[in-house]
Amino acid sequence: MKRVLSSITDGRGFDIALVALPLAFLLLLSGLPLLYNVLMSFQEVDMFSLGTLWRPFVGFENYRKLFEQPETLPILGNTAIFVTASIAGQFLIGFGLALFFWTNFPGASWLRGLFLVSWVMPGLVVGAIWNWILSGDFGVLNFLLRESGLISGNIFWRSDPNYSLWAVVIANVWLGTSFNMILLSVGLSAIPGDLYEAAELDGANAWQRFWTITLPMMRSSIGALIALGLIFTLQQFDLFAAITSGGPNNSSNVTQYWAWDMSFRQYDFAKGATISVIMIVFVMLASIVYVRSTRHEVRG
Amino acid sequence: MSDTYREKLMLAIALVLAAIYLFPLYWMYITALKSGSAMFATPPAFWPTDPQWQIYGQVWESRNMGRYIWNSVVIALGAVTVITVLGVGCAYVLARYRNVWVDIGLFLILMLQVLPASLMITPIFVGFSQVGLLEYPRLAVILAIAAKSMPFFVVLVRATFMSVPQELEEAALVDGNSRIGAFFSIVLPLARNGILVSAILIFMQAFGEFVYSKSIIQAIELQPASVGLNSFMGPNTNEWNNIMAYATIYVTPILAIFVLLQRRIVSGLTSGALK
Amino acid sequence: MGIRKYAMLGALALATVSSFCIPAQAEDVTITVWSLDRDIQPAPNLIADYNKLNTGIKVEYRQIQFDDVVSEAMRAFSTGQAPDIIAVDNPEHALFASRNAFLDLTDMIAKSEVVKTANYFPGPLASTMWDGKNYGIPKATNTIALYYNKDMFKAKGLDPEKPPQTWTELVDAARKLTDPAANVYGLTFSAKANEEGTFQFLPWAQMAGASYENINAEGAVKALDTWKTILEEKLASPDTLTRSQWDSTGTFNSGNAAMAISGPWELDRMVAEAKFDWGVTLLPVPEQGAERSSAMGDFNWAIFANTDHPEEAFKVLEYFVSQDNRMFKDFGQLPARLDIAIPETGEPKKDAALKVFVEQLKYAKPRGPHPEWPKISKAIQDAIQASLTGQMTSQEALDQAAAKIKAVLD
Repeated sequence: MKRVLSSITDGRGFDIALVALPLAFLLLLSGLPLLYNVLMSFQEVDMFSLGTLWRPFVGFENYRKLFEQPETLPILGNTAIFVTASIAGQFLIGFGLALFFWTNFPGASWLRGLFLVSWVMPGLVVGAIWNWILSGDFGVLNFLLRESGLISGNIFWRSDPNYSLWAVVIANVWLGTSFNMILLSVGLSAIPGDLYEAAELDGANAWQRFWTITLPMMRSSIGALIALGLIFTLQQFDLFAAITSGGPNNSSNVTQYWAWDMSFRQYDFAKGATISVIMIVFVMLASIVYVRSTRHEVRG
Repeated sequence: MSDTYREKLMLAIALVLAAIYLFPLYWMYITALKSGSAMFATPPAFWPTDPQWQIYGQVWESRNMGRYIWNSVVIALGAVTVITVLGVGCAYVLARYRNVWVDIGLFLILMLQVLPASLMITPIFVGFSQVGLLEYPRLAVILAIAAKSMPFFVVLVRATFMSVPQELEEAALVDGNSRIGAFFSIVLPLARNGILVSAILIFMQAFGEFVYSKSIIQAIELQPASVGLNSFMGPNTNEWNNIMAYATIYVTPILAIFVLLQRRIVSGLTSGALK
Repeated sequence: MGIRKYAMLGALALATVSSFCIPAQAEDVTITVWSLDRDIQPAPNLIADYNKLNTGIKVEYRQIQFDDVVSEAMRAFSTGQAPDIIAVDNPEHALFASRNAFLDLTDMIAKSEVVKTANYFPGPLASTMWDGKNYGIPKATNTIALYYNKDMFKAKGLDPEKPPQTWTELVDAARKLTDPAANVYGLTFSAKANEEGTFQFLPWAQMAGASYENINAEGAVKALDTWKTILEEKLASPDTLTRSQWDSTGTFNSGNAAMAISGPWELDRMVAEAKFDWGVTLLPVPEQGAERSSAMGDFNWAIFANTDHPEEAFKVLEYFVSQDNRMFKDFGQLPARLDIAIPETGEPKKDAALKVFVEQLKYAKPRGPHPEWPKISKAIQDAIQASLTGQMTSQEALDQAAAKIKAVLD
């Protein structure tokens, strides 16, 4: 007993206790609900059997039916485009801004703080505002593009099947940029300044310093950001509901909105769960990539 | 190019960038002041012709917003507390070692938050009703939010711990500190800023949490502001100007607080608190 | 024997005394009610009034959001926490009724002094029925008609007292009224990919002789082709595909559309904000003399089957019904009742509009009723969107919808 106690205060037990407790909490509150979804995807679910776990099993029937639907593959494709474009946009703009504000001119930190506005605004409001900005007729984006002579006729961002997915991407990049920027700022400020001074003495130019010092030193921040960006992007729901409702004709539909629509609009809970299992598989692959990338992290 | 000239130029560029980025915020402010139909006018008006200033008072009164905001604060503080207490240690350990168990832990933590809240709420609701947690709705929401946001916190704080030099901790251990002692006196203070930033981000997210709150908290007296916001959405009517006024009232103070805080945190970092 | 008799008397006396001393509260039956009504709408106010009557039934109220009514109700029902009474959107009524999640009220209504089925508009009443039995009572009702801007009619040389009556006239008027230079579309409506799209489209199909059961009939194809013409010629904004009825009518109010198809929920905002003269007319029909039809919206009351107090819950519903004459006067909603006249509001445009809506209500048809209505509706929305984005012809799109609906119906 004493050994266990002393190991908790002063050894491996300390580490294990620190990890085990939160993991148990997570498994209970997130793991079980996740399993519930996985289980449902193999069952015949009825709105009135939501409260029980014992429902008729149907094997892969739900999966088979889902992939028979003509919209399934396009929606999976849309999801891939949405996730990739959103993460790339958020990260590049966020990194650019973080580097820009890093130069530390007067007022930089005030202005940087203001960028966090997208993080505090409620989803419903963000959605509604982008809905207006992207509107074809009275939308501000079209107004500005037209006034500046970039376009001659209005682009119907929300209602043209060629643009609708990109309309949501634009709004989502706006939403995620601030979070990327602020975390990259924290990461940047943790890089010791003398590294740069040494590199400068060695005659490295700004570009070389960025590639040889900034990027490698930021590796763990970037890995974390992209992993989280993936999850946030896959959870993005409000913008779809507010801007396009997945339309027109599913041209901007993605798995997370589709799963919700199946479960809570058409009350086909089994299919909703099946779609969510497909999402889980994708994130699983991405998580493995992230975890592997942490192998090469540099510890400061 | 002199330094002051360069600084002025940078400031000017920064102002332009901020203006572009903050445009949606501006649009929220002025839409609140427009009449219900003026917001659909073509071409869009960049300043309301007939600003409805009385709307803020009306919205505050009709929705009893003080109570809503108080509930949001209670829920957000609760969630941040649970997450910080459980998450910091977890992140620290995951940063300290480099082996297959850490890989599995990280992997699990990421995987567990993949599904959107709208798909998690049904099982959570069913589970909570089985164990009787629905009797304590705000606690139930705090736990649900903690489970949802903790992975985010752990991944971020882990990255912060990665930047704390391990030699410092080892030196402290050599000096006769216990693990606990070294953790609290050396490692934690060095990672303070990253933890604070992450906690604030979590606080803001929990402050606006909507899906769990609206399903779990049935009594209107206990609901947070995000749920109150949706009461302007009807079957055929969406009172956008009221929604925007309501959002203005509840976003502006948090934004102001954050701008003040982050200045200290992030600039504190750059000016050498951690080297 | 004697002792027992005295003991009984004593107990009886005690019971009487206690029932006098402790007012009803101790034995109060509590009935919970869920609806989407907020402070200025009927449910919470009627409940407050009812609780003041001290009938021995105490009613508790919870407001739920429109989007969550069904999912909240299902979750609560399957975990045994359902309320006694709920207000549910009419196309979703059959979902619960067909599974006996709602209580069969047929006998109670037959005996009731207050609730009489003959008093109701046929459309709303039909939406509460399943398998020939009454599973609910209509709470309120609404429908859609054509709003038009009289000033714009005059400006373009159209007679403001003769709004379009047929589809051809509607399209012609829209052509004349459309004025891109002034940012004006001829018409605004909603073809959004949710229930609103179905709500707006079905009346058109029904007027031309189709129904959800034969959605690929010639009339429905003609209806969808008419919509397609309107969008292709840009007589309505392309954003019609993603915009709700409320937001679409907003563009009518701001003077950017000359006509709008929407319902009576628009009236108050329009009276307050539209800076022009406007009127309302019945939905145009395919050709002169064709059968009229319209959409039917709004909620129904129902009692959950697992309530512990069916009698008391029905008494509460009877009270709600007895207050239907306040529905419009106090809360601005249309009661689903033939026998209650809508009082004048003193606002001439609004009163004229209400007359049209009440007339239009006679032709309102429920969506379904069918327990899998959401799937049927989704098939129709998909067809509308596939055709209007030009990815299919109207015939192909509706054929596909008909196949999907057939799979649901069988």
